[in-house]
Amino acid sequence: MTAAGIHSTPRGTAPAEAAYPPAVAALRLAWLHAVSRRVPAALGLLAALGVLLWVALHYHWNIAGGPAARMFIPLTIEAAAAAVVAVGMYGPFGELEHATGRWLPWLRLTAAVALTAAAFGALAAGATGGNLPGGSVALLRNIAGITGLGLLAAVVLGGMLAWAGPLAYLLVTEVALAGSPTTPWVWPARPPHDLGGALCAAGVFAAGAVLIAVRGPRESRHD
Amino acid sequence: MNVELTELTRKFGRTRAVAGVTLEAGPGVFGLLGPNGAGKTSLLRMMATVLPPTSGTMRLLGRDPGAYGPRREIRRRLGYLPQTLGYYPGFTVAEFVEYFALLKDMPPRQVPRAVAAAIEEVGLGDRARAKLRTLSGGMLRRAGIAQAIVNEPELLLLDEPTAGLDPEQRVAFRALLRDFGQRATVMVSTHLVEDVGAACAEVALMDGGRIVFHGTPAELIARGEGSGAAGDAPLERGYSAALAAARSVAAA
Amino acid sequence: MTATTGTAVRPRPPRATGAAPMTAARLLRIELRRNAMPLILPLIAALFWFDSYRPSTATPPLYVLRTFWNMGQGHTIVDFGPFVAGVAAWMGSRDRRRDVGDLVAATARPRWAGQLATWAATAVWAVAAYLILVGALFAVYARQGVQGQPPWWWAAVGATAVIAFSAAGFAVGAWWPSRFAAPVAAFGAFLALMLSSQTGFSSFSGWALILPTNSNGNFQPDSGMLYPWLPDLPIARILFLGGLAAAALSLLGLLPGAGGPRLRQAAAVVTLAGVAAAGTSVVLARTARLGPHGIFIPALHDAANDGSISYTPVCGHAAGIPVCLNPAYQSYLAGVTAALAPVAEEVAGLPGAPVRATQVGAAYDPREGGAGQAMTITGSPPVLGMPVGALGLAGAFGWTSGEAAGQYRLLFVHAFTGAGHGPGTAAQRAVQAALLQDIGVPIATQPQLLSSVGLPSWARTGGPHGPPPATGPVYAAARRFAALPRAIQHAWLAAHLGALRSGHLTLGQLP
Repeated sequence: MTAAGIHSTPRGTAPAEAAYPPAVAALRLAWLHAVSRRVPAALGLLAALGVLLWVALHYHWNIAGGPAARMFIPLTIEAAAAAVVAVGMYGPFGELEHATGRWLPWLRLTAAVALTAAAFGALAAGATGGNLPGGSVALLRNIAGITGLGLLAAVVLGGMLAWAGPLAYLLVTEVALAGSPTTPWVWPARPPHDLGGALCAAGVFAAGAVLIAVRGPRESRHD
Repeated sequence: MNVELTELTRKFGRTRAVAGVTLEAGPGVFGLLGPNGAGKTSLLRMMATVLPPTSGTMRLLGRDPGAYGPRREIRRRLGYLPQTLGYYPGFTVAEFVEYFALLKDMPPRQVPRAVAAAIEEVGLGDRARAKLRTLSGGMLRRAGIAQAIVNEPELLLLDEPTAGLDPEQRVAFRALLRDFGQRATVMVSTHLVEDVGAACAEVALMDGGRIVFHGTPAELIARGEGSGAAGDAPLERGYSAALAAARSVAAA
Repeated sequence: MTATTGTAVRPRPPRATGAAPMTAARLLRIELRRNAMPLILPLIAALFWFDSYRPSTATPPLYVLRTFWNMGQGHTIVDFGPFVAGVAAWMGSRDRRRDVGDLVAATARPRWAGQLATWAATAVWAVAAYLILVGALFAVYARQGVQGQPPWWWAAVGATAVIAFSAAGFAVGAWWPSRFAAPVAAFGAFLALMLSSQTGFSSFSGWALILPTNSNGNFQPDSGMLYPWLPDLPIARILFLGGLAAAALSLLGLLPGAGGPRLRQAAAVVTLAGVAAAGTSVVLARTARLGPHGIFIPALHDAANDGSISYTPVCGHAAGIPVCLNPAYQSYLAGVTAALAPVAEEVAGLPGAPVRATQVGAAYDPREGGAGQAMTITGSPPVLGMPVGALGLAGAFGWTSGEAAGQYRLLFVHAFTGAGHGPGTAAQRAVQAALLQDIGVPIATQPQLLSSVGLPSWARTGGPHGPPPATGPVYAAARRFAALPRAIQHAWLAAHLGALRSGHLTLGQLP
């Protein structure tokens, strides 16, 4: 059986893509992986959250409840950024991706770390000129820790519910802050340079990043 | 006539997916053949009233789908299986078919029996309570066919209905098409010429958004005789010959 | 085309006429069984226990206090709203995410009808879970012997808020079928609730009262015990939240392809009606005023709610005088009588000494920063009125039994000297200090007592740097008076109490 006469373009004359070097191939793979995860849209959302943080820090809020309450609007924006990172972890390909080579865990890890860094950058830019409680050190700690929780939620609950992890932590923190907590697991309540809080947040981020890299987000089996 | 299309056109940006199709069809099975990108899916989507035409006129089941009321009446009598079947993974087969039966405004008291009948018709009776996400590709396709036929449609539009079906199921499916063709207009878009040959009384060949052949399968076969066109079966050779002729006219 | 002969023709089923409710019910049943909301309910339940129930257990066993954190400050809404909004956004985007758009569009039912069925199932799960958890909360409270009437109206506000968040989230997802719709809806809802709890927190009137977690004057300290919970503000909030829900859902009916022209017109009307309802409720909130029994809104107020709840008091005795409280405060009766006994004994036999002490309704005044309220001695024979609901309770909110007793004694003496609703004249303050010393509160410690939280601001001394020392002419006069033998003190008081209470005595006229 031949296909002559049917194909409008004779076989073998399609223009071949020019070969590119391994470094470019790696970048291209990373880019395609990022696009499949809607990373450009995530970056746009993170930038918008940065703008929101700037507005929040420059607006004169009439807030009751002292420093704990003043921290809460910026903390909500930080947790929202963490949720955006977490939701950006799952892809549309399912087991098709799992049947590929060795690059997928590295791609996931790179995406998790890079998006977290982007979240920090966007919010740090938004905090410029404002009085962010705890400064950029606390910002980095909070984003890393809450993003770690989001990544863990993606592994356990699936990408579609990954935002529930940061939101639940935000709620728990709100309750804890009302009672002057001392545990380092409520790291937003700790001073910026507190070692215990930093270790806890870093540990959670590391656990989340490793698990998301190795296992990936749980496949959405429900709707 | 259940389907009356006059100079129907659909553009997507600068691309004319359907370029002036004129067609009439009454009860029976009508096959729509053509290469990828010929415009078959866009034509079917317009007949399914989910894509408005850019120009031209269309009457379906004696009504103009441009107005809301007639369009709703058409949809009550319509069965549609798109090329890409979306589904809710958590629904069972029965729930999926029932859901669309209800959306098609079937009398609710009729729905359970109609759903059971449609599921049996496509051979999924023993998987009625299975979740869609547990089904193979072919079974999913059959579930899609079941929702298309559950309301006993007068106009049945099927886009690649046999994709993923094994040969035995395709034979059964062709019998189903012929059965429906007794009283409804069935339009089948497919790449599989043998399906057209086995089930269709009429066939149209599309290329580049136009109909380049319209006739019976026998007439299409006749096109290929002696032409030296490619193909392992008479209908395939007729298909190739008709396409080649259309393209050489277009190029001239 | 010709049909082949000999094939049986299947009968065609009739059109559905007049069967819309049954169709809707069947659609709803499918959607209920396959909704994503149950996935998040275990997490919500855990947070409900942590955030709404656990903190409330540290409060006294009175519904008005137990439910102030979870109902009054809207923590039940905070536990549900953001998560419900997120999952509802996920459900709203389902059709477009799952490539079912064409299939649904090719059916006869308006797309809006299908969407409403999906939303309804989402809302039913969320509201049912809310009602079950709140019901369980009240059941646990009942087992724990919490006194008073549960705030049913505030539970209704919470349920309506859950509906509103599900509608808003669903609309976000339907308009924007992105993976980010759910987190944006969830965190947007959380931020809205945060701002809701902070906006207008120092104001008892104005539009901000309509916000679901605005806790100002949601109820007075004796709501559900001495007088009913006022439904005015809850009704206004239900109207507000219901209007928002209706507007959010009907906006979906305006989308292209949602349905025919009549349906879209109906959707426009419902949208306008929803906005009008929400706007009306804001206008009503602006007319709200803080009354003795809580926030009342004139247009919504039913005078029947101004009555008192009748009850049989529980009574004890303090130095021979009966002390009677609402039965909800029975567990505190012993402490109150013990607090009042030294003062009752000290002033026994003097003109104006109360023959009975009874609980009177308390009124929360936020300008006092949540502080207490004056006792009064009125009537003939004189009766001591104690606004127990506005006073500190031993073991509640960090109050020790000593601090609570000190507050009762101070306010009893303050009322006895006739200082009334003010700090009193210098002579009244001096006699007050002397009497307190007589019952065992040394003058040197009295500034600390007077600066403690829980007292009306006019009774308090002290500032940001702490209480002042017990010096000055008032305390000097008090020391002189307290140094007198008890019999001489009583004789002088018997002769001069009238002039003291009327404010006609000066410090120099004290012995």
